[in-house]
Amino acid sequence: MLETEELKKVFKGKTAVEGASLYLDKGESVGLLGPNGAGKSTTISMISTLLKPTSGDVRLNGKSIIKNPSEMRRILGVVPQEIALYGELTAYENLKFFGRIYGLSGKALEGAIQRSLELVGLAERQKEIVKTYSGGMKRRINIAAAMMHEPEIIIMDEPTVGIDPQSRSHILEMVRQLNHEKGLTVLYTSHYMEEVERLCDRVYIMDHGKIIASGTKEELKSILSSEETVWIELDRPYPAFFKDLQSFKVIKQAVETEKGIKLILPKGSRILGEVFQASERHQVEIINVNVQKPSLEDVFLHLTGRKLRD
Amino acid sequence: MYTFLKKDILVLFRDRTELAVLLAMPFILIAILGFALSGLLSGNSEVLSMDVAIVQEDNEQLGLEQFAEELNGSGIPAEARSRIMAAAQETSPSSILQGILTDESLRELVTAQEMDTAAAAEALEEEEVVAILTIPENFTLNALQKMLMDTGGGAELELMIADHAATQSEVFTDILEEFVWSLNFESAIAQAANGEAPAPEETSVQFGGVESVSAVQPISSFQYYTIGMAVMFALFVGATISGIAFVEKQQFVLNRILLSDQHPFVYLGAKAISAATVTFLQFCILFFFSSLLFGAFDLTNWSFWPGMLLIGFTLAICVGALAAFLTALTMRFNNDSITTVFAGGVVTIFAFLGGSFTPTEGMPDSIQKLGGWTPNGASLNAFLIWLQNLEIVLLWEPLSRVLLLTIVLLILSLLIFPRKGEA
Ligand SMILES: Nc1ncnc2c1ncn2[C@@H]1O[C@H](COP(=O)(O)OP(=O)(O)OP(=O)(O)O)[C@@H](O)[C@H]1O
Ligand SMILES: [Mg+2]
Repeated sequence: MLETEELKKVFKGKTAVEGASLYLDKGESVGLLGPNGAGKSTTISMISTLLKPTSGDVRLNGKSIIKNPSEMRRILGVVPQEIALYGELTAYENLKFFGRIYGLSGKALEGAIQRSLELVGLAERQKEIVKTYSGGMKRRINIAAAMMHEPEIIIMDEPTVGIDPQSRSHILEMVRQLNHEKGLTVLYTSHYMEEVERLCDRVYIMDHGKIIASGTKEELKSILSSEETVWIELDRPYPAFFKDLQSFKVIKQAVETEKGIKLILPKGSRILGEVFQASERHQVEIINVNVQKPSLEDVFLHLTGRKLRD
Repeated sequence: MYTFLKKDILVLFRDRTELAVLLAMPFILIAILGFALSGLLSGNSEVLSMDVAIVQEDNEQLGLEQFAEELNGSGIPAEARSRIMAAAQETSPSSILQGILTDESLRELVTAQEMDTAAAAEALEEEEVVAILTIPENFTLNALQKMLMDTGGGAELELMIADHAATQSEVFTDILEEFVWSLNFESAIAQAANGEAPAPEETSVQFGGVESVSAVQPISSFQYYTIGMAVMFALFVGATISGIAFVEKQQFVLNRILLSDQHPFVYLGAKAISAATVTFLQFCILFFFSSLLFGAFDLTNWSFWPGMLLIGFTLAICVGALAAFLTALTMRFNNDSITTVFAGGVVTIFAFLGGSFTPTEGMPDSIQKLGGWTPNGASLNAFLIWLQNLEIVLLWEPLSRVLLLTIVLLILSLLIFPRKGEA
């Protein structure tokens, strides 16, 4: 029902998004993954009519929305990356205002407020000033505000950044329900691979303003079907050891984190012996070694040579 | 629109600091300035004090004598004659005029100097006096004849007004009209006492046109500073509302508003209406409490308040346009330093130029002119005109300036405001 064609956005000579083409079918749940600065939010702003593309087109049911955004705005709910609420007002007052500007009033307005509040599980605390809410509660009201006019498509831009696990799982469950039970079309942006794995049928992976891979979860993972991941847990980082490992011809990708090193290599490469020898040379204490099947995260690593989050 | 207005007022109301700036601050300043400068301001009828030249060509004593002679030759019965003569002495127009011009309440306002024609003309030329009042030859005689015997063509005063001090000469005209009125009143009584009361206009001393009973009101320091602070803090409302707009943009609420398919101009218009409404409420609150606490104005004077509210309303609309203008600038440059500069510096300069702190009358001409073109200065002038009970038409000049500024600001806002809401 929604598609973009070669979307491009240039900010003062700096290209933020370059040739993004993607589509959403009715009732689908689609993930948009990418590291910081990949251009996810910019893409979303263009899709949601807030930003004019430098070139390219966005079509809703075959009709371009760039000149005529009204129809799109009517059926679209956007949960922005930032908390877009009046901090000084209560949750109830916020929702009332956002309902009103969508033309709701009277019983319909009141009904929409309570429905949205129940959806995010904050009905009892609606009379409190938003400023005093926890991060997770603000995020939930941020979602509720986008649901006031019962949109058919909802676009969520990292709706779970910086919140507690409880709020996070509430939000994820809510999105899953909206998609499965209410048939809402969802475009979900995140850094968190596991969220996208759990929620989405299809995934787009973005980096440096370009869509570098797309497909169902299985399709993407099959990119790595001939590879495996070795996770070496360490007590602390050992830069010299890491350098040594990087020089191994057989290793395709190596990433160092606080807690250890991740290697991607062809299936069946017998490398552990050499790794242990190297660890002795560098006097490295290995806590644990684990050979895993690739996850989407590894796909990302494979495609970009970077981790999703630092 | 109402939705936006309600939300803006709610947001403002929750923000204690802004509220304090908009409502508590002016009160504190009114109290301080009102008490501290009450001395200055009672001499502050200085604001409107004026020198006028009187050219006396009439000889009152001679006039009375001539009148007596004529009366004696008129064949009126002796008893009536002596009654009329007594009335003539009582109501001698020259004396009444003298009395008015040297009256206690006017002495601070008007300094009348007797001069000869040439000296008076020169004084007017040199802007030493604002008006020349000529009492022509035979004024007493002619006036008395018309008033008491209804003969002759009546008497006329000649008033020459300088154009360099419109307000002051207007005040003087008012004073003279009061004189004419009281003269007619006296003559009506005299005629009634005489048993023959002709229609009033026949006995009018012909002067001016309207017989208004206006008297110039002196302005108290509390009145002055209530108005001064009201017009100054009205400007802050413009900054406050555009500040809210900037926060809305920063916190992405503006995006939500645009997503709801509201036209950006609706948003801008709503800001103007919010600012105008808040300003008007601010006026009402300031006027009300200043009257209550400092006795600035008489709350029960029903003919007084419509004018105050009209002027307040006009300035409120202008502040609405100002808020739209500041909002447009803020959005266009995605930066609220314009608003900060406005609230931090421009308002103070405007307040100074416009006379919120101290009357501009003593300042150089250029400053007075400039101040008269600030929205606050122009409204302050309008308030002063109203407070002093001057001619209502005089309000038009300052109010038309405020309206002109409003239109200019609105047009600029529409031109500057980013149409798509994206900077
Ligand atoms: N208004 C703007 N003006 C100039 N550059 C911009 C603007 N908005 C975004 N950019 C740049 O465009 C690039 C993409 O930004 P975008 O916000 O779309 O990334 P993102 O994928 O959403 O990142 P994050 O995960 O951090 O939210 C960034 O390099 C950013 O600096
Ligand atoms: Mg983003």
